[in-house]
Amino acid sequence: MKEKTNKKEGTDAAEATVSGPDKAAETALASAKEGQASPEAAKEEMIHLIVFKLGAEEYGIKIDQVKEVTVTPSVTRMPRTPDFIKGVANIRGDIIAIMNLEERFGIRSVPLANDVNPHITYTLVIEAKEYSIGVIVREVPQSLNLSMTKIDKTPSFLQDINIHENYIEGIAKVNNRLIIVLDMYKILTQDEIRELKSN
Amino acid sequence: MKSREQEYKEIFIAEALEYFDALNRLISELEKKPQDDQVLAEIFRMLHNLKANAKAIGYLQISDVSHKLETAFGLIRNKELSFSDEVVGVLFDGIDLLGELIKSIDSEQQVEIDPVLIRNLDIIVDSLSDSTVELAKVQKFSTSRNLTLSDLIYIQVKKLDHLMNLVGELIIDRDRILSLSRELDNDELKMVSSHLYRITEDLQYSVMDARLVSIGTLFNKFPRVVRDISSAEKKEVNLELSGQDIQIDRNILQIMTDSLLHLVRNAITHGIEKPELRAKAGKPKAGSLQLSARSDRESVIITLTDDGKGIDVAKVKKAAVERHLVAADVADSLPDSEVYSFLFEPGFSLAKEVTEFSGRGVGLDVVKNAIDSIGGRIRIESEKGKGTSFILQLPTSIAVKGALLFEIDSIFYAIPLIHTDSVVALDKDELHEVGEVLVADIKGETVTVVYLDELLNMEESQMRLGDKTRLKGQVQNIIIVSYNNRKLGLIVDKLYRQQDIVVKPLSKPLDSIDLYGGVTLLGTGKVCLVLDVPAITKYFVNKR
Repeated sequence: MKEKTNKKEGTDAAEATVSGPDKAAETALASAKEGQASPEAAKEEMIHLIVFKLGAEEYGIKIDQVKEVTVTPSVTRMPRTPDFIKGVANIRGDIIAIMNLEERFGIRSVPLANDVNPHITYTLVIEAKEYSIGVIVREVPQSLNLSMTKIDKTPSFLQDINIHENYIEGIAKVNNRLIIVLDMYKILTQDEIRELKSN
Repeated sequence: MKSREQEYKEIFIAEALEYFDALNRLISELEKKPQDDQVLAEIFRMLHNLKANAKAIGYLQISDVSHKLETAFGLIRNKELSFSDEVVGVLFDGIDLLGELIKSIDSEQQVEIDPVLIRNLDIIVDSLSDSTVELAKVQKFSTSRNLTLSDLIYIQVKKLDHLMNLVGELIIDRDRILSLSRELDNDELKMVSSHLYRITEDLQYSVMDARLVSIGTLFNKFPRVVRDISSAEKKEVNLELSGQDIQIDRNILQIMTDSLLHLVRNAITHGIEKPELRAKAGKPKAGSLQLSARSDRESVIITLTDDGKGIDVAKVKKAAVERHLVAADVADSLPDSEVYSFLFEPGFSLAKEVTEFSGRGVGLDVVKNAIDSIGGRIRIESEKGKGTSFILQLPTSIAVKGALLFEIDSIFYAIPLIHTDSVVALDKDELHEVGEVLVADIKGETVTVVYLDELLNMEESQMRLGDKTRLKGQVQNIIIVSYNNRKLGLIVDKLYRQQDIVVKPLSKPLDSIDLYGGVTLLGTGKVCLVLDVPAITKYFVNKR
């Protein structure tokens, strides 16, 4: 019950923050809310993703793992933490770690499209089991509703990937788009949490 | 503020009234099922506690009556006295009398104890076999019963923790509003926010005050502990307690409990010598152990002093050299205070030669960690043959602490005042490159100095802690911190003010990073990192 309330506040607040610089995120979240409100309406099992770009590829996170989307607030760098930790930010009184997933996963950065404002980034606030983290993305995240059947949960290549790196939950294919669905609960491995400590 | 005595009295009354209510309930229950041993045991226990508490605080009438009742119930429990109607009547009267006595503590009026009732009690207690003695009728004490509720409530520490956290959040927002109102320069807003400031400050101290307990609650457990350990060790030890009235945050005391126990055990097993050895050394046969507490500004100092054999500095040095904690030539010139700090190294005591000879240090690193975790300090003073003192400096409250704010590479940092010794400004020429570090003469003491920007921000492979050219500007602001009896100067870019901050612990996954004790939000809404002095010192030692 409590969690639900929080989520709602988070979403509302995210809209308020985003509406200034860019309306698109708002629309994304508004449609996201509709999707949440009527899951039973759809006959087949649907999944709702927040989709964003890392490098040249599209990635998705299940909406129930995303607490809010906001324009990245001022981030305070924390010396002697791994490079992919950009620092900490004050998001509505909570101090959370801000991460760059491109650096975390070793994804090659690509130049931005011309219509993207290079000075604004967005932060997805993600609630993993034990912690909240912020993930920086450069373009406005979008919302996408798709059938569960469109997700290939066990593509063969996943078996080739080191088991400790298994943060990929599946691959979604919609209208010629390929979206890598991430399991945010596995985004930080125990090793990395230990690595934080050794510094 | 109320006197301690008044407070004890109130606590006693509240507890006693609670016992009184419970006794009434239990004895009514017992009347219905006189065979219930559990109820009897409970009544017995309560009367016993009441007797002991009353006696301790000096209400002898209450303890006398409780004693008589306790004896009576003891007889009933042992089946030497039957729980007959007559007896029940007397017992009810006795409990009513207790109630009257307890309630009369706070009023001027003295309760006249009805001698008949006392006689009745004595009769059922003493002359159990002599059934011919008649129990006399007693005039009822309380014809008109007043129902009263206690003035004290019990509260879970968890609830107070929650309250404290909320106050912390409130203070952060208050500071933000205060700084906004200054920026906006609106008189009305300024007035409201300064009022808000006063109220929240009051609130903060009230909540902190509600969490305070007397150190005596912990100290008073030690006489028994000391007795047990010393008799097991076949030693004679006199324990002296002082400063039991000093107040400290309940959670801090909780964390210190094990450490203090550890230190006391160490002092008896390794510090104080056996009686025959003491006699040889010309000391009194019985060792003396002093456990004292006193307030010092915003902290509480707990001192544990023994008059035992003291710490053998030479032995500690030898062991430290053997364990490669320090080079032999350096060890020779180390001041004693720094030598003692080796005792806090993890596993130091495991070295056999140390435990056998100097004997100190069993798990002292655990003690140190506990003290670090609450932001306290510990130091040792010792004289060979004369004894050893452990001096613990603890904050009175966890959540709010005084801190020094500064800036490095445009990031705000804070260091809790409990770790800062002083602040100096030195000219670059007063810093000297010695070995691979910088040193400076500060008030006649040679102190190692480190440029924090270099330590925190330079890539580790290119870090040059002994290179003066890395410094910016001519005059260097240096904060002297002290940890584990060692001083270290931290060069910062800009030094700001001293301020009370509310430290928010870092949330997962960042909470595993040792370097930061937490964060705090400044009035401007900016995040300020709180440096953990023990971790910074260790990091520096490792990188040097």
